[in-house]
Amino acid sequence: MDDFIIRLEKVTIGYNGKGLVGPLELSIKRNQFWGIVGPNGGGKTTLLKTILGLIPPVRGEVRYGESGSLVFGYVPQSGNFDHLFPLSVAEFVAMGRYCRIPVGVGIGRRDWEVVIRYLKKTGILHLRNRPFKSISGGERQRALVARALSGEPDVLILDEPTASVDVRGEAEIMELLEEIRESKAITVLIVSHFLNTIVRFADHVVFIDKDRGAFLAGNKEEVLTDSVLGDVFGLDVTVKSRM
Amino acid sequence: MSVLSEFMNSYFLWRDPMVVGMVSGSICGFLGVYVVLKRIVFVSAMLTQISSLGVVLAFYLQGFSTLFFLTDPSLLSLFLTCAAVLIFSLRERFLYISQESVIGWGYILASGLVIVIGDRITQGSHDVASVLFGTAVVVERHETITVTITAVVFFLIHWFLFKDFIFVSFDPELARLFRYPVRGLNAILFLSIGVVVAITTRALGALPVFALLVLPPVFALLVTDRLKLLFVISPFAGLLSAALGYFLSFVLSLPTGASIALVAVFFTVLGGICRRFGLLL
Repeated sequence: MDDFIIRLEKVTIGYNGKGLVGPLELSIKRNQFWGIVGPNGGGKTTLLKTILGLIPPVRGEVRYGESGSLVFGYVPQSGNFDHLFPLSVAEFVAMGRYCRIPVGVGIGRRDWEVVIRYLKKTGILHLRNRPFKSISGGERQRALVARALSGEPDVLILDEPTASVDVRGEAEIMELLEEIRESKAITVLIVSHFLNTIVRFADHVVFIDKDRGAFLAGNKEEVLTDSVLGDVFGLDVTVKSRM
Repeated sequence: MSVLSEFMNSYFLWRDPMVVGMVSGSICGFLGVYVVLKRIVFVSAMLTQISSLGVVLAFYLQGFSTLFFLTDPSLLSLFLTCAAVLIFSLRERFLYISQESVIGWGYILASGLVIVIGDRITQGSHDVASVLFGTAVVVERHETITVTITAVVFFLIHWFLFKDFIFVSFDPELARLFRYPVRGLNAILFLSIGVVVAITTRALGALPVFALLVLPPVFALLVTDRLKLLFVISPFAGLLSAALGYFLSFVLSLPTGASIALVAVFFTVLGGICRRFGLLL
């Protein structure tokens, strides 16, 4: 029996009953680190949202492990929040904990302890009482990661988590994700434009391009070949494995 | 005799209207925080007009129908407001027209009908004017009780669901991911705004209710960057606007609804000055 945590079975992804690309087959196992790459508008975010259950598949089925349900930690593309809401950083991060708090029940002491732990782990504990709207892009990305982690998820899904940070900030966030994956044994799926980031941290890769009807999934060595990088990204490269 | 002592000696005249105004101010100020944060200010304008339409329609139908449901101004106003709230909270687009445009359409339709139907009413024309312009200075005992019970019930509902209303308002996508009943919670939120608008519009008038839904939250947003404090300052500002508005209306012989609205405007100017000089709570 395949010990998958997420499996896409003959899934066609799309919006409002209109298929973009498919049928797709994908099996994701516990503690794997998947990178999702492809051109802009290629269907990466639609794939993520289909996996999350936010967009229903046009055809096929998305299955979640043996229990049939998973707790997701989700980092959306940043900049989509309404800054009219005067939330503190701690209040913002606490929202990630709501997956474990039923409707009508407030945040308990144990929940706040978890929130504080992840504020500390992401290095933004000192910002906890600052308005969320007032912190920098890099700090905001850390708050988003802390929010996703505070639900103690089975799967962490990140959509361009390093898009608005500098090189140093990107390295810090990626190293933090790697450290958390190792210590918590959680599955990570990350969409990124930065191939070097994916190559360095992911062990598996999904390549998706709806315009070409292309979908490849597997070990990064199998997917990121000379021909894929050349055809899709126009890169004249030779891929060499590191010994 | 000073103005203040004259005012105090006449307490039997203003006691009930003042209580209704203060309770309405605090609950409208509280719910108005969601109206302002969700950027749906014109929903409250539309709802106050639809509520007014219910009142004038009931007066008009008194000449044709004996059905209590159709001829009781409070009941018809409540029904129309809640129906509008449910339609607008459950649908985001109507025939490819944005929700914002439909709100404008609803506002204009309700306002036009209020004026046209109001023109045809001979009986109860004073009540119609009171509802439209907020000149009501006399409230009946049952209105005081109804407004107070409504406010207590909705404060309690919002106390229990505070975290959830904020969550679905701020990040509905994450709320859906966490299997929160986003549509249900939005429906309860909008319904609470609709019921409060219907009941307070009947007691205070459309203009002051619209003002109390929008201006105290704006004042609160100007003087604090803390979410929970927002929900304390705004109802308190609503309560003070209503109380001061009634006081000024009494001592200066001004229209009550307009006085309440202008005091609320004054608070926002005060809030702007506080923000400008960094005097935040």
